[in-house]
Amino acid sequence: MSIIIHTSEILMLIVAIIGITRYSILNNPFKILTLSAIASLVIDILSDIFNTKYGTNAPVLHVEALTEFVFYALVYYYLFDSQRTKKAIIVSVIGVSVFSVINALFLQPFHSVFPTYVNLPTLALLVIFSLLLFKQMLLSPLTTPLLKQGVFWFNTAIIFYGTTMFLNIGLSNVYIRNPSTDYLIFYFWYAILYIFTILIGIALLTDNNKITSTNAL
Amino acid sequence: MRYENIQILVLSTAALFILVTGFIIYFVILYRNKQIRNKQEKEQLQARYSQEILRAQIEMQDQTLNYISGEIHDNITQVLSFVKLSLAMPANLTENDRQLKINESRELIGQTINDLRDLSKSLSYEHITSLGLLKTIEIEVERIKKSGLLNVTFLFEGEPYSLGSQPELVLFRIFQEALNNTLKHASAKHLKISLQYFNHLFNLTLEDDGDGFSKKLLYDQSGSGLKNIENRAALIGAVATIESSPGNGCCIKVTLNPLEQQVYADGNYSNSPG
Repeated sequence: MSIIIHTSEILMLIVAIIGITRYSILNNPFKILTLSAIASLVIDILSDIFNTKYGTNAPVLHVEALTEFVFYALVYYYLFDSQRTKKAIIVSVIGVSVFSVINALFLQPFHSVFPTYVNLPTLALLVIFSLLLFKQMLLSPLTTPLLKQGVFWFNTAIIFYGTTMFLNIGLSNVYIRNPSTDYLIFYFWYAILYIFTILIGIALLTDNNKITSTNAL
Repeated sequence: MRYENIQILVLSTAALFILVTGFIIYFVILYRNKQIRNKQEKEQLQARYSQEILRAQIEMQDQTLNYISGEIHDNITQVLSFVKLSLAMPANLTENDRQLKINESRELIGQTINDLRDLSKSLSYEHITSLGLLKTIEIEVERIKKSGLLNVTFLFEGEPYSLGSQPELVLFRIFQEALNNTLKHASAKHLKISLQYFNHLFNLTLEDDGDGFSKKLLYDQSGSGLKNIENRAALIGAVATIESSPGNGCCIKVTLNPLEQQVYADGNYSNSPG
């Protein structure tokens, strides 16, 4: 199992390195995505340390649930053209931040419980953002082939991650008292993470401020 | 129990994977189709733009040739015929009268040379490219003033800048079209022409005190020249407003943002995410 966990960390490290090396030629949203990859890597390592030292990584997961959402929401903030959607993103970030604190203190104590109350709505919000961005992309397509657009890969990563992780958390809640399915949910969890990390890596590899800034049709 | 749980897990996961993958594939196909359609529309727009530029050039050449042939027929030929007659002097003229006739003929020939020089400066596409819109319109204004057909006031404001040879050609054709309307149909006595060069705004205004017309005319066959002005303006990203009512003259105003106009010619505008 530790091989699976470490492989995920190595993948995230590779993605962070891709982002750092290409940082100067990335568009602003993808610079933020690079920072989010670095943050995810640090959080994953901290999670490992907490697990080993204190027997639980719940506090780290509370922080991860919030930071992950804030970073991706920020990426979307820069990707959207509509001012109304940008405002909605800011409101959602403020709302989720306040709710995370309340949840960590009163609903799902940060020292012992996994923050599903934060995860589920943020995943749903990310799926909504990705669908809206797909719509925006269709309304103003670029001349650059779709598969060479970092935006497409990032959005695909988010819609994939948002839906599958939502299902996974749901299934975890349903089968919480069935240890027979634990290993399946664990593998499913890491399969999602691998695919998501690879898609984010492709997004960082394909984005280029020189291509996307002048190629609107 | 265990087998059932695993079955549900695998089935729901597979269903979701298929759903997400299907959605992405559908999006890729939709996006590709949209790209192709937009590319075709852009090509059509560019082709229309090129055609319109070519049409404007041909129309300008026609107008120039008409003007030159008119000038040769009505002015130069008449003067030279008069000189010819004048020089066919009867033998009984005194030396003094002969000298007088020769001087008169020399003056007329000098005037004809000047007229020919003016003709050589007749307006053509190359003139707009080399002289610019402002100077070309100034020359045209001088020509009308000289003809005495209309009382023309010419004003310009701001620091003149180039709008690009093709948009300037289209603007000049709009100017000619408006001028022709005033000369042929308006029965106007006075025409005010003004050009305004602001930072991100260019205005060309022609205002006459003629008969005017009702707005309905714009949509009739007889108002095709005016409709042409609106269409041509739209082609270079400008907006033409035509204001008129019976008895109150006509005002044609063309407004152009020089930064936006090229969108229509080459589509090089930025609309990228981020």
